[in-house]
Amino acid sequence: MKSIKLNIGKKFNRRQFLKASGLASAALGSTGLGFFGYEAGKNPESYTGWENFEGANQSFNRKRKSVDHPTYEKIGSSQRPDARTEVIFQRRSLFMRQWKDDTGLEGLDDYLQEYYRKRPEDLDLDLYSMKELMPKMMSDSRKYRQKFILSNAWSNAMGAVSPRSTNEPPEKSDFPSRRRFGGPTEPEKMKSPELTSNLIKKIAHELGSTLVGIAKLNPDWVYLYPMRGRGFEQDKPIDVPKHWEYAVVVGTPMSWDPMYANPNYGTSNDAYSRSRIIAYRLASFIKQLGYAARPHTPGTSYDLMVPPILIDAGLGEQGRPSIVITPELGNNFRPAIVTTNLPLNPDKPIDFGVQRFCKTCKICAENCPSGAISFGGKVEVRGYLRYQVDTAKCLNFWNSTLGSMGCRLCVAVCPYTRKANWLHKTALKVSMNDPTGVSDWALTGLQKRFYPGPDPQKYYMPSLGGENASYREPPWWLKAEDFIEF
Amino acid sequence: MNFFNSGLFWFIEGIFACLVVIGIKIWMEDRGIPMPYWKWLLFGLWILFLGFTIAFIGTNIGEKEVTAAVKGGILFGLISIILGVGLWRLLLIKPKRNS
Ligand code: SF4
Ligand code: SF4
Repeated sequence: MKSIKLNIGKKFNRRQFLKASGLASAALGSTGLGFFGYEAGKNPESYTGWENFEGANQSFNRKRKSVDHPTYEKIGSSQRPDARTEVIFQRRSLFMRQWKDDTGLEGLDDYLQEYYRKRPEDLDLDLYSMKELMPKMMSDSRKYRQKFILSNAWSNAMGAVSPRSTNEPPEKSDFPSRRRFGGPTEPEKMKSPELTSNLIKKIAHELGSTLVGIAKLNPDWVYLYPMRGRGFEQDKPIDVPKHWEYAVVVGTPMSWDPMYANPNYGTSNDAYSRSRIIAYRLASFIKQLGYAARPHTPGTSYDLMVPPILIDAGLGEQGRPSIVITPELGNNFRPAIVTTNLPLNPDKPIDFGVQRFCKTCKICAENCPSGAISFGGKVEVRGYLRYQVDTAKCLNFWNSTLGSMGCRLCVAVCPYTRKANWLHKTALKVSMNDPTGVSDWALTGLQKRFYPGPDPQKYYMPSLGGENASYREPPWWLKAEDFIEF
Repeated sequence: MNFFNSGLFWFIEGIFACLVVIGIKIWMEDRGIPMPYWKWLLFGLWILFLGFTIAFIGTNIGEKEVTAAVKGGILFGLISIILGVGLWRLLLIKPKRNS
């Protein structure tokens, strides 16, 4: 016994103790890193979300990537878009109301006739949706209703609270109509546009907006002919009001887990509803300072095109599916806009490499079940060079799936739409700061091999040969079969 | 805030890293192998890569991205092993003695 003790004492001297500690530390440190990684992947704090107030989620240093000109290019004389025909929801609803088989094209309003004559492929797609997809969707929805009870309930719940849409003309609705007791009778004299901008951004964050930016409003983005229900005379061009000088853009993300379980379990209603409420509250705040303000909000209460304004306001860049990609949320967000004459200091656009990355990547185009996203380059649209998505094909796919309305696969699969943890933030930094473009190729390759999705055909509803597949498993709280007795 | 996200976690990781460095230094001294700065540099880079690999696997398991965890684990794990073996041989180089 004595000799063993002596042996141990002799062998286990200070140097050996330190060597053994080094070995043990290597083992413990590595295990700790594994747990750190696990936590970083699982922790809801990495779900880029709206819950974090005070603007903490708008974490990207935009000044370092700001540029003097937006990342879209003007190459011809610009034209303002016609909301009646070019906004797919507007066109479809007008078409469904007006189309009669016996009168055909002749029975439609003139501008619709003109549009379909120029784009007969859209007439085919709109007819296909009305005559084939909608009835099939109705019957499949009844058949597979049970699977999506909770996701439908959740989507409807998120859309249940919403401010009444602005449906009066700007000269009436935008100005503070009744001064509150003690409120301003004149617009307040603000000290400087810089200070006011800081204030407005802070208020937007306090109202729950994840992102906020300010742009000088370019009239090119205002619809030439209005959407219905916005207080404008139908079929009369919009005269861009002088008080729409600035656009304050707000945006919130769609909840992570349902978004990642697209197309069948996600919804846009959560972010729609949040951004909408924020925009109405912000407009109210501005009006109480005595200035004009008008909210333009999702789903279909806009007088202007939103994506280019997001770009002008420095929130992000246009991606291949034609929606805007931001450094913080990727394209997983839904914006709203407040136009105002409150003097503000516009932000600069940013360039963090999306234009170059999208050229190589094309993951959204490969995963888009409808073929709406182009594999090719940018095209000229109303005088601007940009990516264009085929909205009729896209909406037809929405009508080819069950569950809460929509698809959003191009959101879920995009490498920029990732959780805000060390891994994806590092990948973003590498891609952003690599002048050679080699990392675009490497990151895209890894993304395709490491994060594959189902065969796009499987996303379709069963009567169209699909399997109601989702990109990833739905969260436990949307699995109806675990909660409801069928 | 979870422990593995906290400052305390990184503080403890730092202590572990110091102990690893001390352990290796003594181990090398005992064998008469010198550790010039470039060896420490290469060793540090390898440790970073190994740490990246472990954290990559953990993060993807946490994100329920099993394919990424497995494929990335194999790819980065193999690279770590190959680099580790090469580095080990390099670290063990002793200066030639005068006969
Ligand atoms: S929403 Fe779906 S169908 Fe539409 S463009 Fe994106 S991926 Fe394609
Ligand atoms: S998936 Fe790729 S190509 Fe598509 S928008 Fe995202 S980065 Fe661009």
